[in-house]
Order: sequence, then C-alpha cells, then structure tokens
Amino acid sequence: MEVLILFTMIVGLMLLGVPIAVSLGFSSIVFLLVLSDSSLASIAQTFFQAMAGHYTLLAIPFFVLASSFMSTGGVAKRIIRFSIALVGHFPGGLAIAGVFACMLFAALSGSSPATVVAIGSIVIAGMRETGYTKEFAAGVIANAGTLGILIPPSIVMVVYASATDVSVGRMFLAGVIPGLMAGTMLMLTIYIMARVKKLPQGEWRGWGEVFASGREAGWGLMLIVIILGGIYGGIFTPTEAAAVAAVYAFFIAAFVYRDMGPLHVEGEGRNLSLMRKPLALVTVFFHRDTRDTLFEAGKLTVTLMFIIANALILKHVLTDEQIPQQISAAMLSAGFGPIMFLVIVNVILLIGGQFMEPSGLLIIVAPLVFPIAIELGIDPIHLGIIMVVNMEIGMITPPVGLNLFVTSGVANMPMMNVVKAALPFTVVLFIFLLMVTYIPVISTWLPTLMMGPEIITR
Amino acid sequence: MSHGVQSHSALGRIVNELEETAIAIILGLMTLITFINVVLRYGFNTGIIWGLEAVTFLFAWLVLFGMSYAVKVTAHLGVDAVVNLFSLPKRRVLALVAAVICVVYGALLMKGAWDYWAPFAGLDATTGRWFPTGFADSRDQAWYETVDIPMPDWLRFIEPIMNEGETYGKLPRFIPYFMLPFGMALLLFRFIQAGVRVFTGQATALIVSHEAEDDIEAVKHMNAES
Amino acid sequence: AACDDGEVVIKLSHVTNTDRHPKGIAASLLEQRVNDEMNGKACMEVFPNSTLYNDDQVLEALLQGDVQMAAPSLSKFEQFTKQFRIFDLPFMFKDINAVDEFQNSDTGVAMKESMTRRGLLGLAFWHNGMKQMSANKPLNVPSDANGLKFRVQNSDVLKAQMAAMGASPQPMAFSEVYGALQTGVVDGQENTWSNIYGQKFFEVQDGTTETNHGVLDYMLVTSTDWWDSLDADVRDQLATIVQEVTDTRNAESSKVNAEAKQAIIDAGGVVRELDDAQREAWVTAMKPVWEEFTADVGQENIDEAQAINAKH
Ligand code: NA
Ligand code: NA
Repeated sequence: MEVLILFTMIVGLMLLGVPIAVSLGFSSIVFLLVLSDSSLASIAQTFFQAMAGHYTLLAIPFFVLASSFMSTGGVAKRIIRFSIALVGHFPGGLAIAGVFACMLFAALSGSSPATVVAIGSIVIAGMRETGYTKEFAAGVIANAGTLGILIPPSIVMVVYASATDVSVGRMFLAGVIPGLMAGTMLMLTIYIMARVKKLPQGEWRGWGEVFASGREAGWGLMLIVIILGGIYGGIFTPTEAAAVAAVYAFFIAAFVYRDMGPLHVEGEGRNLSLMRKPLALVTVFFHRDTRDTLFEAGKLTVTLMFIIANALILKHVLTDEQIPQQISAAMLSAGFGPIMFLVIVNVILLIGGQFMEPSGLLIIVAPLVFPIAIELGIDPIHLGIIMVVNMEIGMITPPVGLNLFVTSGVANMPMMNVVKAALPFTVVLFIFLLMVTYIPVISTWLPTLMMGPEIITR
Repeated sequence: MSHGVQSHSALGRIVNELEETAIAIILGLMTLITFINVVLRYGFNTGIIWGLEAVTFLFAWLVLFGMSYAVKVTAHLGVDAVVNLFSLPKRRVLALVAAVICVVYGALLMKGAWDYWAPFAGLDATTGRWFPTGFADSRDQAWYETVDIPMPDWLRFIEPIMNEGETYGKLPRFIPYFMLPFGMALLLFRFIQAGVRVFTGQATALIVSHEAEDDIEAVKHMNAES
Repeated sequence: AACDDGEVVIKLSHVTNTDRHPKGIAASLLEQRVNDEMNGKACMEVFPNSTLYNDDQVLEALLQGDVQMAAPSLSKFEQFTKQFRIFDLPFMFKDINAVDEFQNSDTGVAMKESMTRRGLLGLAFWHNGMKQMSANKPLNVPSDANGLKFRVQNSDVLKAQMAAMGASPQPMAFSEVYGALQTGVVDGQENTWSNIYGQKFFEVQDGTTETNHGVLDYMLVTSTDWWDSLDADVRDQLATIVQEVTDTRNAESSKVNAEAKQAIIDAGGVVRELDDAQREAWVTAMKPVWEEFTADVGQENIDEAQAINAKH
C-alpha cells in the first residue's frame, strides 16, 4: 500500500515538471523519513556511493565520452558513406543503409539518442534529397536508433549489470545476436516495402568505393574490435574498455580524421597533417575542442548519473523496507509461472518507459524483478536482454519516448508525425520483443559459447 | 556551447568558464588514470595501486560538482508532455511549485550531506530528523582514511589539527568526502536561483525533455523546411 | 521478518548469499534464533548480497546508526586498529584451529574490544577458513608466481605479500574477478576453498595450490552506542545467542572447506598439494613481510600466535 503511494508521488511530481531525479529523490526521502529509522545522512551516503561505490557504473562517463569524440570527430559521415557503398543499391537502399549505419554506430556508442543524432541528422537529409518522404526517413531512423542500447557497448546494459551483479562482458555478448537480428528484421521490412511501394534505389558504385569508404570508416569501426577484443582477450575489464575506447576515439578524431582539434581547418579547406604541425601532439590536450568535448560528455554524464543516484536512493528505500521480498512473495503465491511473469515484466517496463529515462527505470525495476526471475529459473542474462528490448520500444512509443523527441528534433517535424511514421517499424520491433522474450537461446547462446554457462552465485 | 542562461556580467562568465573547465578536467583525469593503469598492467605488469579508488572519487566529484551547473543551465531531464498542455500562466504556477519542491529537496540533502561529512572532519552533525535543530555531540571520525590513496606530505600540517597529532598513512576520508556538502550547497543555491528565475518570469521550466537537446540544436538546420 | 512495535530492530547487512556461504549461513542462523527466542523483545532483519551496503560502506553505516550489525572480513578493521593486520600476515597461523585458539585467547578477546574508542565493538570472530592460491598456470614454488598479476583484497599486507612473491597485486571489485580471471586481465587470486568453489573461480584457473598461507575470517561487529543503549537482559540474551551461533558455525568451518575442496576435485578442478620443501620455499618467500608490519601488529601478539602454533 505504502509503495503505491510512493510510486504515485513519484509519477505525480514528474508530471508536474519536477526533474525526474528530484521526483525520485524527494519522494524516497519523504518516504524514508516517515516510515523508517534511517537518517538523512544515510541518504547522503547512498548518493555519494552511487558513484564512489559502483565501479561498474564508471563505464558510463567513458562510453559517453567515446561517443562524443566519435560524433565530434566525423566518424558518423564516414560510416554512412561506407553503408551506402555497401547496401545503397538495393531497393530502398538509402533507408537500408541508414539502418546499417545505425547498427555500426550503435557498436561504437552506448546510447540510443546519440545514435539518432549522429546518423539521423545526415541520413534523413540525404533520404529526402533522393525522393523519400521525410516521414518515412524519420520513422526508419527513430527505430534503428534504438539499437544503440542493444548492440554493445550499451549504457543500459552497464546499469543492468551493476544493479544485478551479472557480468557486463556477458551482457555485451548477449546483445550481439539480438542486435543483428533486430537490424536485419528492420532492413528486410524496408526491402519488402520498397519492392511494393517502388521506393528509390541507389546505384552500385563498385567494390572500389566499398573498399575506399571502408578504409576511411575503418578507423572508427576498429573501435568495435578494440572494445570486444580487449575485453575477451583479457587486456582490460569492460569498464576499462570504455576508457580505452574514449582515448582511442580522441586520437582518431584529433589525428586521423582531424575534424576537431589543432589540425582541423574550418570550412572546406583540407585539414593539416601532423607533419606540418607536430606540436599538435601536445597542444591537443589544451585545445578548446578537447575541452568542449570533455565538458559536453561530462554534462551528459552528470544529468544521467543525477537520475541514477536518486534512483539508487529509491532502491535503498525499497530494500530497507524489504519491498522486493513482499512483491516476490505476492507474485509467487499468486502462482505466476515464468510466462506470466515475463508478460508482467514487459508491461511494467513498457508503462514505466513512458515516464522514465531508461537507466533510471532499470535500476529501480531490476532489483524488484531479479529475485523472482531467479526463483522462476529465468536466466539473468536473458532477463537483461528482455529489459533492454523493452526500453527500446519504450523509446519509440507515445506518449513519451526519448527517441521520438530526438527524432522530431533532428528531423524538424512534429512528434505525432514521427510516431505515425515510426509505427510500422515499431510493430516489427514488437514482434522482435516477443521472440526475444520467449526464445531465450537468442540471448544466451553467444555468451554461453564464449564464456561458458552462466553462474548464479547469489 | 550550452543554451541555458547566458551570464551578462563578467563574473558570471568567469564562473561559467570555471565550472565548465572543472567538469572537463575531472572527466579527463578519470579517463587518463584509467587508461594509464591499463597500459601499466598489460604492458608493464604493474599499476598505480590508488588509481581505481581515485577514479571512483573523481566520478563522485564530477556528478556532485556538475549537478548544480546542470540546474543553472537547465539541463536536468524531466517530463514536459503534461505541463505543455496548460496555458503559460498556469505553467508558471506549476513551475513555481516544482521549484519549491526542488529547494526543499536540496535543503534536506544539504542537511544529510553535512551530517554525513561532519564526523569525518571532526565536526558535529546536526540534530533533528527533517531540519537541523541544533548540533549533536558526534563521535570524531577524522582518523578514518581512504583505502589506497597516499597521504601527500605537504598536507601533513593537518595532522595535529585533525588527527590528534598521529600520522595519516593514507589520505583521510574527509577530504574526498568534502565534495558532498560542497556540491549539495551549490545545488541548493542553484535551485533557489532557478526558483527566483521562474518567479520573476525569466524562465518557465526547470527541465528539458531529453538529453540530446543541445546536440539537436546543433544539427537542426540540416533538416529545416526551406 | 517484519518487526512488531516495541521490539528492538536489529539490521544486519552483509555481502554474501544466505544459504551457501559460511558467513551467510551464520547470519541466517542468527536471524532465525533471535526471531524465535527473542520474539517480543527483539527482531532481526538480514540484508544479504550487498543489497543494502557493501563492506566498505557498512562500517560507516554502523557508526551512523543506520544498521546495527555487520560482518566484514578482518582486513576491513585495519582502518580502525592496525593490530588486525596480524590476520593478513602470511603463514602467521598454522591452521584454522590455531586461528581459533588465538581469537579465543585474552589477546583475541582484547582485539574485539580494541576499537571501542572508534565506536565499534566486536561481538564474535566468524571463520571462513585458510586461504589457497590459484592461477592460470601451475603454482608449486613461489617463483612460479613471478610476474603474474594477482587480484587481492584491499589490504597493505596482502599487497606486500604479493609483491614479496614477485607478483603484481591488483585491486579489483569482487564482482569483476571471475570475468577478469577468465579473460586473463588478472592471472590469479587467493581465497578459501569455499569461495573458490562458490564463485567457480576454479573453472577459469589452471589449478589451485593448497598453501593454507593466510586466513580469511570475518568479525561480527556492532556499534558501541547502540550496544550500550540496550536493556541489560536483551543485551545478555543477544550475546548468548551470538556466542552459540558462533560456536556452532565455527565448528563446521573445516568441514565446509573440506567439502568445497572435494567438490572442486569432483567437478574436474586441479588441486595441488605442496611437499615439505615446496612449502618451506613459500614460507621463506613470504615471511619477510612480517618485518614490515611488526610495529603495527605488536611483537607480543606475534609471539602469542607462534606459541599457539607450536601447540597444534
Ligand atoms: Na551500443
Ligand atoms: Na514510450
């Protein structure tokens, strides 16, 4: 009963226009002070330890930073050129290339909105020029952009791993096949629509263009190899992988692509070579572009972590009041089996996804449902992927969805038009959700193959 | 690069520059230390033993310091779908209510942060459950050290003041923990400022609806209707 | 267990599971007995699996009064008094029986009370057991560990011990260890049989060497402020239950570890035993670490430990 009041209060405050983080934190504090013996000092401790005590969450600032360098440094346009060279000649080619580019960028970035902004801004404009409607372009990108959190690396997976103590590396591996599947399903849908509706088709520019654009994009795409190879090759932990990715992205942006930093030339002129300006190796660290990119990534990290830290206060309250045990006992005594349970999880997340930023929602819901899932014999990795796919769908369904906002901003069109345009592809993702939910092997096969069977040490 | 309130005074611009640069430096340091430790471990079988702990503290600093800045430039995320259904005057009232809640939230956390930090600094926590009613006689915890971070020699002058003259083997906890009350004080201050801005009509909301608003501004022109 | 009005609420936060780990089992037994026998007077709520606090935060929370009991590993108390480093020093104790006798000696009892000026009171030592070494290559003599990266608990003594073996100590969150061992980010680790089995570390290591070089124990602690605030009869009854639970579980610890070791062998894990010469080589390599920490630990305490060893 009290829990209901608590959650009503949180949602009410959010709808009132209180920042999400404050809605979570304020409600939890009031709840804790009224109902328990815990002190305000323990809230402050929880807040501080949200960062200082959660080593896994450190991956967030690093992946955000890597993504910022990649976006600033012009990797997106090179990835798009490569994608067009590869699949642009199919019916609906540019749209398929857009999805493919989103998949590639998703493999560099941990966030969906970042993927939409980086790829969408260029591809939507390009699609309109070649005769697609703006609506169709926006619908494609809004959906494909959600792959940002399914294809590793993924900030949402990091948060899930941190909340449930499963291995981040395992979660990343688990996202690979579902990510490829979802991307392929979207591309196939476009292909079929293109055949029916006679959508524009690019021309095949030959293998030369594929290789040339591939070599250009390769510097950015190497990051995938570095992240996954480094983690599974025993060079670094997933958290460290994020930091290495950030450093690599920085060097690529500043010294290879030179679209930022001391070697960058504004306008159409060619960027300088390092030979011409070797001092850049030093000055790059103090360059305004470097500071600005670090600052922008830092600011985004702050807003995300402010939500997560307050969500952790809520989690502390729920744990302190032993709510997960009560919910778990109620669900088990109601006789829910795994199938019914997963339906409930899907519904909770789809509704919650309307109000909450994905990482904040996950850190609250995961501890609630995780013990029940273990009890019902559901694989924790499988549960994690289900949650991630739910988050993806939450981002593109009305009334509220992160990717809807971002796409409507990037495409410069009203949100309801984006919703309508996104709908056919959202249906595809929904079918995909059902597949992922009820066919566990899609998620668990690769991590089991690479890392052995999951161990549950709790 | 941010699109929040632009400061008109020279002092405002300096403060803004300082805040942004501090955020950039903290994140840069975190990345660098982590990266160097990977290189040292993989390449040289060694490592900076305090690196991990230092990075987690810097992470806490980044957020604790940055959250007040994000209030200043209205970067915190919120849900504006419902609020936007109302007329502007009604929206202002809602924003005022929201601001009051934020200020109370800031005040509660400020008390919590002080109560948590004070014993580590050999000071007294406050009494009272919701709001401070006086000072408690807190047990001194200034001896409490971090796990790995060495105590720099130039700081040893604090030992007679803080640690009954005993030497610190590691950096005492009250130093990294100081960012907690400091950050909360800044947060409270910025929330009050934001409330005043809403009250005087300079602002209509405390939130943005998604994290990529700045980035969208930057690329919006690419799809503008011609 | 939901507490009734008028009952003293005792929150115990720990970091392991409730039914397989020696500490978790002990905490669950304590919870059950308190709630059965002290019904109406006191009520215990156990928060396992780090759901409320991890070991670093829980002592702060204890001092703050947000939990009433915790059971971190002994290394965590080096912060409060450096005497506790004696338990981390390699080859200080011959076996768990020697550890037990030391903990129950006057010196051991005094150690439980040595932190009262910092606000903590030790209620009982809870055994896990003696530590073993595992790595991704055979470890027979200390030089085999040369150049390897070992995950260690956060403790200056343990770092010095790894350095003395020519290995590189790596601090790392416990939840990352399995993955790091599996991929080779770190090469080895030290732990008790029950942890090596429970965390499945043996699956991703070449083998485990039975070194028995150190001890991994926990201390059940409370805050002096809270303990002193209890009614005398509640305090006495609680102390009695704690003592009985401790005796029961500590008596089982050798068996638990022997079973874990056997389970590792049954699951195909390699266990290497040391002959006398090899063992001597390990002692020779590691024992110099003592000198570095004698001042912290106290020569008289070391002498006491050695006197007890001689009896076993
Ligand atoms: Na991704
Ligand atoms: Na939605």
